[in-house]
Order: sequence, then structure tokens, then C-alpha cells
Amino acid sequence: MMNLTLLPDLLLAGMLIGLAWAALSSDDLRRGVVLFIAFGLLLAIVWARLLAPDLALAEAAIGAGLSGALLLVALRDGSGGDKRAAKRSRLNRWLIDLFVLVMTCLIGWVLWLTIYAEPVERLAQLANAMLDRSGVSNPVTAVLLNYRAYDTLLELVVVLAAVLGVLVVGRERRGYREAGPVFYGLVHWLVPLLIVTAGYLLWVGAHAPGGAFQAGATLAAAGIVLRLAGYDAAGLPDGRLLRWLLVAGTGVFLLLGLGMNVSGGRFLQYPEAWSGSLILVIEVAATASIAAALVLAYRGGRTDGWLFMDNKDKSREVSS
Amino acid sequence: MTQALIYALTGAVLFMLGVRATLLRESLLPRLLALNICGAGVFLIFVSLAYRGDSLPVDPVPHALVLTGLVVAISATALALALNRRLREMADE
Amino acid sequence: MNNLLIWPVAVPLLSAVLTLLWPRRSTWIGVLGTTLSLLAVVLVSRQVVESGAIELALGGWSPGLGIALRADGLSVLMLLMSTLVSMAVAVYASVYISRSERRSEFWVLWLLLITALHALFLSGDLFNLYVTLELLGLSAVVLACLGGSRESLQAALNYLMLGLLGSMAFLIGVALIYAGYGTLDMAALAAAIESGPTAWVALSLMTGGLLIKSALFPLHFWLPPAHSNAPAPVSAVLSALVVKAALYLILRLWLALFDEVVTQTAALILGLLGGIAVLWGSWAALQAERLKLMAAYSTVAQVGYLFLFLPLLAALPEGTTRDVALGALVLLALTHGFAKSAFFLAAGVIMQRAGHDRIAELGGTARALPVTAFTLALAGVALIGLPPSGSFLAKWQLLSSVFITGQWIWLPVIAVGTLLAGAYTFRLLGYAFAPGEGVGPSLSVGREEIPAVLLALAATLVLGFWASAVWELVPISAYAGGEG
Repeated sequence: MMNLTLLPDLLLAGMLIGLAWAALSSDDLRRGVVLFIAFGLLLAIVWARLLAPDLALAEAAIGAGLSGALLLVALRDGSGGDKRAAKRSRLNRWLIDLFVLVMTCLIGWVLWLTIYAEPVERLAQLANAMLDRSGVSNPVTAVLLNYRAYDTLLELVVVLAAVLGVLVVGRERRGYREAGPVFYGLVHWLVPLLIVTAGYLLWVGAHAPGGAFQAGATLAAAGIVLRLAGYDAAGLPDGRLLRWLLVAGTGVFLLLGLGMNVSGGRFLQYPEAWSGSLILVIEVAATASIAAALVLAYRGGRTDGWLFMDNKDKSREVSS
Repeated sequence: MTQALIYALTGAVLFMLGVRATLLRESLLPRLLALNICGAGVFLIFVSLAYRGDSLPVDPVPHALVLTGLVVAISATALALALNRRLREMADE
Repeated sequence: MNNLLIWPVAVPLLSAVLTLLWPRRSTWIGVLGTTLSLLAVVLVSRQVVESGAIELALGGWSPGLGIALRADGLSVLMLLMSTLVSMAVAVYASVYISRSERRSEFWVLWLLLITALHALFLSGDLFNLYVTLELLGLSAVVLACLGGSRESLQAALNYLMLGLLGSMAFLIGVALIYAGYGTLDMAALAAAIESGPTAWVALSLMTGGLLIKSALFPLHFWLPPAHSNAPAPVSAVLSALVVKAALYLILRLWLALFDEVVTQTAALILGLLGGIAVLWGSWAALQAERLKLMAAYSTVAQVGYLFLFLPLLAALPEGTTRDVALGALVLLALTHGFAKSAFFLAAGVIMQRAGHDRIAELGGTARALPVTAFTLALAGVALIGLPPSGSFLAKWQLLSSVFITGQWIWLPVIAVGTLLAGAYTFRLLGYAFAPGEGVGPSLSVGREEIPAVLLALAATLVLGFWASAVWELVPISAYAGGEG
């Protein structure tokens, strides 16, 4: 039976599929990227609709915002061209389409069974019931930094590995020319505003939507704005300080976790009275690392400061 | 639970659309877009599992998983773009 | 003290952080960190041998809400392989990489790779496994492009993109499992999962994703370029360890979590693909003109052997016979891990001395680099499966499982595969032991030659004589709901 209240949901879902299709089938890369960004923004609305405001914030900042920025500069790098679609035989394409259709139906069947036909009890109750003991009142933060903190630790390590990769393979992207007066003025209030917003998101994450990832992404946006305005360093320090910034999240997280281990608890088992403050400390460090990593990913390449360290390294070797 | 089902099915479609484009396209950027849309599809399935109607509290676990997944996805995207850029530079040299 | 379980992950991670902060000391911290990781793994292994499978509920939350680490026989064996191989490769790399300006980055990523491997072998949570898979994939990709050549970057990029597709397939499988069973904890799932559409679809998606990562034919095409163009120490761990991580996960899923779901037909399909991989990979290795490419194709073939076990395992009843077959599979994987890393390290020595690795121009290797030539010969013995190597015993058990189950179809595959392996090994040794000037004049034994020959000795002698330890460890399972 068709229910009118479902109409907005059906509309949103249809638009998502339509945008994805358009982004994927576009031969013009720039158009594809712009459609992808629009897709990300629409997805943020869907997250909000599904009562996931933490995700809506993160998607707008990371999924659409920073991914979009990265993809757009990739276009500027001249990754474009290559109009030729894959030269697959008609049979091959037909087989791929058949495979896609069958798998979609199978996945859809399972989803229909597990969500609609025989709904399954999952972790919602348990996770919400344990909230009192987690040190925060935002359940998503409780999962991220307490129940499943180990995931988040490893995820910070993933970010670290990726940003090292960016530093290893590339040289720094050439900077932009100095901004015009209007943009220059804009930068002067936009950057402080972004920094304050990041601080707010970080603080509020304990009891309301927000947290380290959203704050880190917002802070990174400040760096990117600086970069666009012609500040080549994008607000990042050089050399050793940058290294400290990049490992802060992983390092603090790991050391606190091991501290619990040594002092009689399990790894990452915070004492209940302290968990709120410990989570905040970890989040501050994680925000700094994520922001630094994301700005570096945008700026690209080895930084001068980084090279400087290595050069000093080499000169020492030669002299010794 | 009809809303949850609608979005979960949308997630399945997005995932397979992404897979299809990954298999069909050859140059990097479209494939990267495709993989990101794949990821979005999986995330949408997770989030619709968390949704239990407008009146009940959501399941925070999938939300946290998706946040983790988002950060992993952008890390991988950044790495792929950096590699691609270096390859372009080498082709120009 | 189950708290012990975090150390194989925490030690390399902490060392990676320190290496990043003190790049000038990177070699020291790198080797020391690898050594301490080895120590942590040894302590965990001793605990498992003494008191059976152990579990650590991280953060003190019950598994399900929280994440549990678990160590049992299978994970301990994989951990021991990865930590011993990486120890030897680290000593080798301390010489091989010493002059590179990317030295400090190498060591950070090296330690992150070890972190990822150990975290993967210990993880007891499906989503956490996804994160460890991504960490493993990304750090492997960055290591693979440290060589800096265009070919290595292109191969690394392809490897990255396919790896991401594999991870996505794995992740959607995880989502369906969470949809159907409401938990991500693998022990709970091992007890809960029963045959039905959810389990079928989730298992095929997850397996599909992992098959890409384990490079089973016909999804193997990314492996030879990626493994043969990386720096030698990186090739060694990619071929010996990273591919095994995906295989380990397939074993976990098929034997512990989804044991009631797996059908004979599904296992047969993977076995057939494995059989084709054995034949095709060995044939391609015989045709290869470069040493490292030959080693990479040989990996494709060796991975194939491991998949031959799946239909046999599916046909055998639970109990001792099946544990013996599973032990043989693990023994074969371990032997290949040691032998192939030794092989790649030896290839690296030749590359550095001769400036190339073209097989036809390797004359004089035995005179100029006797230790390295000996390493190649020993590793070859293990790759073919001659006694006294571990793979000889493993193939013996493989054959006996074939007789027990009556799946005669695998006999010609094993026979032809072994003959081809003999052919490509002796072709190489023929050139390497022939007189010639291809490799240059004799030099003293390099410090980097020692770890390679030790790895080869481990594959041929240690694993051969101590194989019973493998069979004793394999039946210790943390997922009793499944393997029983």
C-alpha cells in the first residue's frame, strides 16, 4: 500500500540514485566531480533525515567538502583527458550488467528480509543503556571513543599511513597567487570563524552532534582557505613540529590506552570517573592530527620542512 | 520500518552502480568516483539499519562505523589522487 | 594476563610513532621495534600453547558492544610467520634501504604494516577487520611505490584501486551480517550464523572481496607487476605475508564463522580456480625473463595450492582428519611465506650487485654470491616441495586428503604443478650456477645475505622437522561454535 508520508523519502532516494548515475556516466570529468559533490550534499540531507546529525556534519565537511576539494584540484592537475570509455566487448558489458542486476537483487532480498520481514534486534539498546558509564552523553561519541575506541585508533593510523603516502610520492603543488582584496578581507574573518567552529564542534561532541572528525575537517577547511588566499604553508608548521602534529592523535590515544593496560585495567579501559576528560584529551589530539593530515593531503607533496630534516640527515652522514 | 527499507535498498543500488562503473571505466578519476559512491551505498545501508523510526532512539553503532568508514575513504582517495598526480608528472617529464 | 594480547599491535605502532618523530634514528628504532614485536608475539604464543585460546575485551566492554582480540592456534601460527619473516627482512632492509633518502618513511610504513598484520591476525570483530584490511592495503601500497619508478607507481595505483574494491565488497558483507545477526563479534557470530539467504549473500560478497586481495586466478593480474616492481624487502613481505592475510580471513570465515553455510559446490569452485592458478602461475613463472617476475608468478601458483585445500576441507568430516588437512594447508602457507621472502631477498641482493635481474644473464652468480645462490636453491627446494621442506609434508597430506575424499581431479593438478615448479626452479639454478660474468666479481658475504639464507633454511629445515608443532596448534580454536 502506498503511503503519502513516504513520498519525501522516495523522492530523496530517487534523487540520490539519479545523481549517482549522472556522476558516474558523465564523460566530462569536471561535470562528474561537480555532480559527485552535489551527491555528497544530498547524502548529508539523507543522514539528517535518518536521525544521524553527526554523519550529516561529517559528510558535508569530509564526504562532499574535502573529497570535492581534492577531486577538483585533481582536475586542475590535468588528470583529465582520457575520454575513451573502456573498450569492452558487448558481451562483456552485458555480463557485467547481468552480474550487477543479480547482485543488487540478492542484496536487496537480504535487506528486505532483515529489515522488514523479520526485523532483528541489534546493539541499539545495549549501546544506549551503557551510555551512563561511557563518560559522554552523545551515543555516537561513546561508540567512537569508548566502546569501539580501538577502531578509531586504527583509523587514525590509516590516516597517518595515507598522508605519509601523499608525502612520499609527490612534490608540493604549486601555490596560488596572492588573493585579491575582497577575498583577502573574506579570509580574515572566515578563518577565525572556522577555527572557532572547529573548537565548538570538538567541545560539543561530548553531548551533542560533533566531535573530533567534524572538528578536524572544519579546521582543515580553514587551512585550505588560507592556501587559496595565497598563504603557501596553509597554516601548517614545518619540520619537526609538523611531525608531532601528525602523530599527536595516534600517539596520545595509544599511550593513554597502554597507560590503562599498565595500571591494571584493560587496554583503553578508562576509569569511569575520568573517561569524560580522557576522551576530550584524545579528541583534541585527534582533531589536530586529522586537520594537519587533511590539509597536507590537499596541499600535496613533501614539504620543505620535511625535506630539510632529511637534508640535514644526509649532511650529517657525509661529515661523519 | 518502510523508510529504513527504502534507504537500505537505495544503498544496495548505489553500491552496485559503483561496482559497475569501477568495472566499466578505465581512467582513474571516474573509477575513484565510482568507489566513493560504492562506499556511500554501504554507508547508507549501515545508517538505515540504525534507524528505528522517528520515535525510538537510533542505534549509534552503525553511525560510528560510518564515521570511521568516511575517514578511511577520504584517506584512500587522497592517496590515489597523489599517486595519479605523480604519474601524470612523470608522463609529462 | 590476557592484556598481553595488545602488545603485538601496540609495540610496532609505538615504534612507528617514535620513528616518525626521530627520523634520524629510524633504522635503529625500526629494527628494535620489529625485534620487540617478535618478543610480544612469542609471549602471546607461549600463553596460547600453555593455556589454549585467549581473549582480550578491549576497554573492558563485553565483546559485541566492544571489540575483542583473540589468539588461537591459527592466529598464533600466522603471527609467528609474519613476525619471524619481518624480523629477517628488517635486518636485511637495514642494509638495503640504508642509503635511500626515503629511509625514515620506509621504516614508519614498515612498522605500520606490521601493526596492520598483527591487528588483523588478532582481531575478533568483523568491522575492525575491515579497518585492519584498509590499513594493511594502504601501507602496502605506499611501501610498494617507494621504488619511485613509473612502473612501480602504476602497479601500486592499480593495486590500491583493486584493493579498495575488495574492501568495499568485504564491508557490504559486514553490513549484511550486522543486518541479519545484530552483532559484529566473531565468536557470537560463529555460534549464531546459520544457512540462509543472509549468510549466503554476505559470505559470497566477503569472499569475493578477499579473493581480489589474495590474488586468486582470475583476479591475480594485479599481483605480478605490484610485487615485482617494489623494492626487494617490500616484495618479500607483500608476497610472503600480505597475500596470506586475506587467505587467513577466508579460512576464518569458511571454517569458523560460516562452516554451516559453506557448500561443497562453492568450495569446489574455489578449488578449481586454485587449480587453474597453480597451472597458469607455474607456466607463467617458467616463461618469465626476470627473477622477481618469476617469483611473483610463483606466488600466484602457490596461492592456488592453498585454495586446492578448500574442497577437501569441505568434504572431510569435522575432527582429526580435517584438522590434519587444515594443518597441512597452514604448513604450506608458512613454508611459502619463508621461502618466498628468502627468494625475493636473494633477488634483491642480485639486483643490487648486478644491476639487473634478467634470468638469462645470471651466469656467475654462484661464484660471486655463493650464499645468495645457495639461498635461491634452498628456497627452490621449498617451492617445489622436496623433502625435507615443510611443503613436502604439506603436499604429502594434501595427497592423502585427495585419497580419503576421492577427489581424484586434483591429482594431475598437483603433479603437473610440482613438475612445472621444478622446471622453473632448475631453469633459474641452471643459469645461476653456470659460469659467467653477469653478476660481477666476488665480494665478501654481505650482511644482507644472512637473513635471506636463514629464511630459506627455516622453510626447508625448521618447518620440515618441527611440522608437528603446526598440527598441534591448529586445533586450538577461539571460535568453538564453529570448528568444534
